Amino acid sequence: MFLKSKGLNVNLTIKTLIYIFIAMMLLNVSAFSADLPGKIIVGCLEPLTGAHAVFGIEGKVGMEFAVKHINEAGGIKSLGGIPLELVIEDVGEDAMSARLATESIISKHSPVAVLGLYISRLTTVASEITEREKVIMVADALVDDITEVGRQYLFRPSPKASMQGRSAVEYVIEAAEKSGVKVENIAILNEDSSFGRSNAIGAVQAALDNGLTIVYQKEYPYDITDASSIVHGIATAKADFVVHCPYFMDAIIFAQAFRELNLIPKYIAGMGACGYSDPESIEALGAVAEYYSNTCSYNPAKDTAQNRKFVEEYTAQVGHIPTEGAGMNYYGMWVLKEALELSGELYPEDPLNPDNLRSAFLQLDLTSGPAVDTYPTNHIAFDGKGDNPHARATILQVINGESKVVWPFEEAEAEFVFPRPDATY
Amino acid sequence: MNFFKEMNLGKSLILILFVIALGIPYVLRTNQYQVLLATTVLLYGVMATSWNIVGGLAGQLDFAAFAYLGIGAFVSGTLFIRFNLSPWFGMFIGGLVASGFALLIGIPLFRFGIKEVWYALTTSALVEILKVAFNMWEKVGGPVERCLPYFSGSWQHMRFVTYAPFYYIMLTMLVIALLVNQRITNSKLGYYLKAIGEDETATEVLGVDNRASKLKALVYYSFLIGMTGGIYASMYGYIHPSFFNGPESTKVAILGIVGGRGITFGPLLAALLLVGAQEFLRASLGGEFSGLYLLIYAIILIIVVLFKPRGIATIFQDIYQKFKTKEVKK
Repeated sequence: MFLKSKGLNVNLTIKTLIYIFIAMMLLNVSAFSADLPGKIIVGCLEPLTGAHAVFGIEGKVGMEFAVKHINEAGGIKSLGGIPLELVIEDVGEDAMSARLATESIISKHSPVAVLGLYISRLTTVASEITEREKVIMVADALVDDITEVGRQYLFRPSPKASMQGRSAVEYVIEAAEKSGVKVENIAILNEDSSFGRSNAIGAVQAALDNGLTIVYQKEYPYDITDASSIVHGIATAKADFVVHCPYFMDAIIFAQAFRELNLIPKYIAGMGACGYSDPESIEALGAVAEYYSNTCSYNPAKDTAQNRKFVEEYTAQVGHIPTEGAGMNYYGMWVLKEALELSGELYPEDPLNPDNLRSAFLQLDLTSGPAVDTYPTNHIAFDGKGDNPHARATILQVINGESKVVWPFEEAEAEFVFPRPDATY
Repeated sequence: MNFFKEMNLGKSLILILFVIALGIPYVLRTNQYQVLLATTVLLYGVMATSWNIVGGLAGQLDFAAFAYLGIGAFVSGTLFIRFNLSPWFGMFIGGLVASGFALLIGIPLFRFGIKEVWYALTTSALVEILKVAFNMWEKVGGPVERCLPYFSGSWQHMRFVTYAPFYYIMLTMLVIALLVNQRITNSKLGYYLKAIGEDETATEVLGVDNRASKLKALVYYSFLIGMTGGIYASMYGYIHPSFFNGPESTKVAILGIVGGRGITFGPLLAALLLVGAQEFLRASLGGEFSGLYLLIYAIILIIVVLFKPRGIATIFQDIYQKFKTKEVKK
């Protein structure tokens, strides 16, 4: 019948179209995802594959520990002890996969909040969706601009990138003063991402504020393969110290170039927490990693019971102390927990309403508790943009093959080494 | 009613599929993720179908799809940010600039007989060169994301808070890309391109202007993808040098090859199946087993290439031919 003749296909086509319409109408009565009483869903959106997976996986593990500890401590008490449940999606490494993952996690699980993204451009994409859906985002991307575009439901407890650049410069100045070494000339390097630039902007501003002379500044492609001309340029400019924002591979290339050319300034300070002082870099560089430092948005040496518990359990599971990604997301989850508690107290009739939760975030003023115990400073609050104005980075220096917190000096677990004993000029 | 009277199996199928495609956003409207996924599949469908002109018909192994997409996105996005020119117009200008750029690249490439692996390497490098160039070109690019205005939605500026409008725009682009493909396939240019794809030297001996034919194919391809770039920028809400994406360009070529080179519907079919499968695997396994979905996706790809080297479209072509033969016998 169907294939009898050309003309007779008309009937079947029309019939098929009618069936399709009926099917569509039936499919349209799809059920909305039901509320899940008894648990609060929190989304983890991190790059678990691709170039940034090493950071994303650490962030995910940090969140998992935080959820475990929060639930062990009785969940969200102001909401009758409701536990948290973490749902996880891989955002990959491009805007397309990040958008799909964000839409997917929201449509499937309706989380009250999502944490993560790590990369600024992925955060930009995802936060457009969380704004539309009124889902709180606790971001771990540090580029300054993330909080400059008027997002209402985005909060970033960690110190932003320019703050990290500033911290790196201020640490070197304070360390030089303590050591009785005069530093006047600074070289500033950064890889060519928005993150690198945000760090460099903070470093430049701090250098100018402190009367330093910027004798060399370079923004280079992150996939640089030879750093020798830049190292020569720094030596020629007679920089007393270098402040550098690398990613992973370029940090290795620079550290090896400084050593091979034997043109080592008084100090080389990383900023932005990627490269030099993280466990992977130390392993890759071996002895060359010695005396390098980097900023960190987390202080693994903070001497509080909560932090010790996290560090011990994390180290037992992963094999090294928590990295920045893990730490940021650990305290990020605790900050969310505190906001949920406050929302439960302030808005008991509808504590999970995104506007009520947002209001709770803005009213947070934490100076104690597990979030603060694992945070680099002792004060967490949010300004209208979603940043914590009391945020500050710590400095980790590689000493005897291990990363040690050396700044702020009052919280240091080891004495800093300054200037570098192997400096050549 | 001539259309219905002259309707055959092929046309019936196309009409049915088109009606289904029109209804998808309505059915999925409560789930933005699924509408986005459908839009993403269409995006790859447009790109792979456009790629088919130069990669399938003309046999040029092109890895520069995201170079033209990036150019279109930057032109449309920059005109929008700087001059408030609506992307509805910007996407056309983006397409024109992308095809102008393709001409600039294509003329010397084809003049000096760059083909086969050398053409593949050159186009692959083009994406990376543009990425670095736009990263350094501070006035329009640079490392910092440039967000498009009207993020809360504006029809006249192609900024929507849901994906359904983008879905229909992309569906329109797909229809255009398919029609252009079909038109070229059945034209003199199409025959020239197919001959070039088979044996370039023999075609030249026969008096075909290889260079002009390939340039025409390149212009059509880059124009369609450049236009798509304007939509892409509006959909993602920002422009950034990471749009010049080498691995994604390779993915477009893979879709074109796996779908069936030179078959109009092949690349679209591959986009439907492979992009859908990849996202399904990512969403189901990506959170718990990092990277496993990429491994499974790669295995699927290898199986397809091993058992259907001429493309998955040939499976459907064979089925279609069987039905058609039965129809004639009856």
